[in-house]
Amino acid sequence: MRRQFKDTVMELSTSNDKLVMILGDVSVYLFKEFQDKYPDRFYNMGICENTLISVGAGLASQGFYPFVHTIAPFLTERSYEQIKLDMCYNQLGGNILTCGASFDYAWDGATHQCYSDLAILRMLPNVEVIQPGSLKELDVLLRSQYDNGKVTYYRLSDKPHTIDMPVEFGKAVVLKDCGGKITIMTAGPILVNVFEACKDLPINLVYFHTIQPIDKETIEHFRNTDILVIHDAFGLFEAICETAGLSVGYYGLPKDRFCDTYGTLEAIREDIGLDVTSIKEMLLNKMVQCL
Amino acid sequence: METYENKKMMQTVFKNIRKDILRISEISGHGHIPTCFSVVETIYAFYEVMKHDSANPSWEERDIFILSKGHASLAQYVVMSKFGYFDLRDVESFGSFKSRFGCHANRLKVRGVEASTGSLGHGIGLAVGVALSFKIKKSDRRVVVVIGDGESNEGSVWEAVMVAVNLKLNNLIIVYDNNMSHQRGLQITNPGDRFKSFGAIVAEVDGHDVAQLKNEYILRHDTVKVIIANTIKGFGCKTMISNQYEWHRRSPNKEEHEILLKELDEAAV
Repeated sequence: MRRQFKDTVMELSTSNDKLVMILGDVSVYLFKEFQDKYPDRFYNMGICENTLISVGAGLASQGFYPFVHTIAPFLTERSYEQIKLDMCYNQLGGNILTCGASFDYAWDGATHQCYSDLAILRMLPNVEVIQPGSLKELDVLLRSQYDNGKVTYYRLSDKPHTIDMPVEFGKAVVLKDCGGKITIMTAGPILVNVFEACKDLPINLVYFHTIQPIDKETIEHFRNTDILVIHDAFGLFEAICETAGLSVGYYGLPKDRFCDTYGTLEAIREDIGLDVTSIKEMLLNKMVQCL
Repeated sequence: METYENKKMMQTVFKNIRKDILRISEISGHGHIPTCFSVVETIYAFYEVMKHDSANPSWEERDIFILSKGHASLAQYVVMSKFGYFDLRDVESFGSFKSRFGCHANRLKVRGVEASTGSLGHGIGLAVGVALSFKIKKSDRRVVVVIGDGESNEGSVWEAVMVAVNLKLNNLIIVYDNNMSHQRGLQITNPGDRFKSFGAIVAEVDGHDVAQLKNEYILRHDTVKVIIANTIKGFGCKTMISNQYEWHRRSPNKEEHEILLKELDEAAV
């Protein structure tokens, strides 16, 4: 997905000379093409996430469109106050793009995991929160949002899904509406497993790439069903819960413990019950309870 | 070179600014007066020497001033009012519910303020971004950011300095208001040596001497410049100088106000 990020930025740059890349010593080689073509607007600023955000805000104050990019936990959790104040409170919009969340760097352990980014950023004013699950989603949503003056967060993934669907900012996608009593709502690359788990079940499936603003209209459409949010992060569930009076539950991250294992993304998903088999088993049990 | 008469006249200006700060603090019940008093000359000096136009605050050729130590906002408001950005009477609402003039400035509310600051260690990073944007635009505009010595306990200050030096931002002036606030907690001895070791050009001046501050602004270098402005918290009022803990964030009552005014008048500023 990072390659798509670079490709889209390269294309946008052909018609806009205000894009500035600010990297935290990540994806540097990938952006060599940009660096060679636009050396004045490429900065591998170093491993200093607080300053990356503040500098991005400063650039935005003078009419540039900053693209601040590094690893998710360090840019969002460490630099939350810089995002909150320098960008949001000052109303200096910019694009924040991260990699590694939630468990893309599974082998690196809990220090490199990030599953609260969407949840904490959606609480801020003047912010848009996007979790593109596919290359197409990233491409479409980058093009439509990067220059709108808001703070837009894109959580990139190295493990995108390939399910094609229409993409429009702020609009959820109803992937299956079979009149089922249960509606699954999910977001991002975990769609691969969720889609597979419920493909043969009489269950509705709704997909979100935009967490903030959340598509309340689509949520309303499924008000009379049992909504279950399946997500490998915090944020989507909380956003859906803001629609009052729903019957909504959450299945995903474990509570009150770190996922302190290593290995692969798939292994972590299996460990916390987000592999296809576990999701399907959970759904079959839920269907029995709903009878 | 300034004549004695000029210098004396300027001193009167600064006494009056301090009197305005005291008066507004008494009226409003808000303000960090000692830290305001340490940066009066600093703020004034740069508003005098920088390119800006109070009739057109968004003038595209203006230089940028950022007060990273945002709790000295009252000093900035009073100085800006002297330069015509707004009427000083409006500042009397300082810190009240609907006031535009908060105890930490909001750039969206106060005409001419370039950055909303307050949380320490933020304005300097933002200033680096502004200075970089001028480099990209190949503009000769400059940026002055005032940071506190206490503020410099924050790691983000040093991150920003490293980045600025790495980018050779010779259009960025960092003024380090060395009013000894750091002595209360994490002490920063020999700040000039520290900034030098980070690769910045360092100049040390009497932060209550406008001429020295302006001279350092005028001298150009090939990288970031840090001006260590040695100042005194509460400068001009011996009560505040000798009771810095008590007065850090405290407004005078009527009686105290009278005493502080008298001290100011008597001070050999």
